[in-house]
Amino acid sequence: MEGLDLLKKDWNKREKGFPEFSENDIYGMIHKRSSSIVKWIFIISILEVLFWTGIQFLLVDDDYKKIVENYHLGEFLQVSTIVHYAVLVIFIVLFYLNFQNISTGSSVKTLMNNILKTRKIVNYYVWYNIIVMFISMVFVWKNMITYDANLNDVLEKSVSTGSETGFWVGVLITMVLMIAVAGGILWLFYRLVYGILLKRLQKNYQELERIEF
Amino acid sequence: MEAHLEQIFVKQLKENQNLIHKVCRIYAVSDEEHQDLFQEITIQLWKAFPQFRGEAKFTTWAYRIALNTAITLFRKKKRNIETTEFNSTTHKIDFEEYNYEEEEQLKLLYKAIHQLGDIEKALVFLYLEDKDYKEISETLGISEVNARVKMNRVKTKLKQIVNS
Repeated sequence: MEGLDLLKKDWNKREKGFPEFSENDIYGMIHKRSSSIVKWIFIISILEVLFWTGIQFLLVDDDYKKIVENYHLGEFLQVSTIVHYAVLVIFIVLFYLNFQNISTGSSVKTLMNNILKTRKIVNYYVWYNIIVMFISMVFVWKNMITYDANLNDVLEKSVSTGSETGFWVGVLITMVLMIAVAGGILWLFYRLVYGILLKRLQKNYQELERIEF
Repeated sequence: MEAHLEQIFVKQLKENQNLIHKVCRIYAVSDEEHQDLFQEITIQLWKAFPQFRGEAKFTTWAYRIALNTAITLFRKKKRNIETTEFNSTTHKIDFEEYNYEEEEQLKLLYKAIHQLGDIEKALVFLYLEDKDYKEISETLGISEVNARVKMNRVKTKLKQIVNS
């Protein structure tokens, strides 16, 4: 008998070798916790959202309010808070709807596509937060330099001693450092999600896509 | 209500457990992984069971969820780093009825299947389960024509691995 025919014949006969689980075994199994990647992606997504949303709210304390007053940031803050809540609500709705769509009863390709789509929404939200953080930082620095008396003293001193470049380099280094920290955290989440959890899924999804072309 | 549903589910699953074992046989590389995958598939089936309305056969419905779990949802534990080792229990081959040549060929074939990609494994599985191209294409989410083309490629690939 030739290769695949032989295999097919053997395939159905081999059932005797399987371990047989009793009803009790199965009862035990359905009460155990799942370790599916969807569950992990959900947990990580929630952590990411809490982290990036939290950062924005953590900064709001009394000192922050003083800074807002001193640097004339009230209006900016009002607008950005409204936008922020609106985006958060839209994000939660989209995330929920997409997450609901992840069904093990879908075809293999649809399931993968829905998982990737849900992840993309989280990515968009994270990017939104980072971009907002960056814009706020530029805005705050701009107003700080305009309104902060101490900072102005330092700037004036540096101008008079001819080390103005040094001052701006300092500002630049602080900003780069802050971006580096945010970027590092972002990179860690990305590694976790795409490097570990979704690596196999992406490979298989690409293979399915290739079949169709 | 939940208890009643649980009872129906457990009974159905027990009767059809070989279907899940077969999926595990294709995807798991060790007895431990077979056990882990079986458990995860069972959990996923149970989670989806309230949506199972019985308009499809239990087995047709279970194929899809089992394959989706094996291909996409299941996270292999680190201890099972890509090996193509033969697992002892589930591949216990009762070779008595085969001649030496057939026996060797079967061993090579099962080993070759383990070297295939996840999607290719699914195609081999559905082929061995005698599924028609309509069901194969619906399960994987690709067109029937492309399922046929890919299936032929996988068969050729299997032959190549066995012959090399």
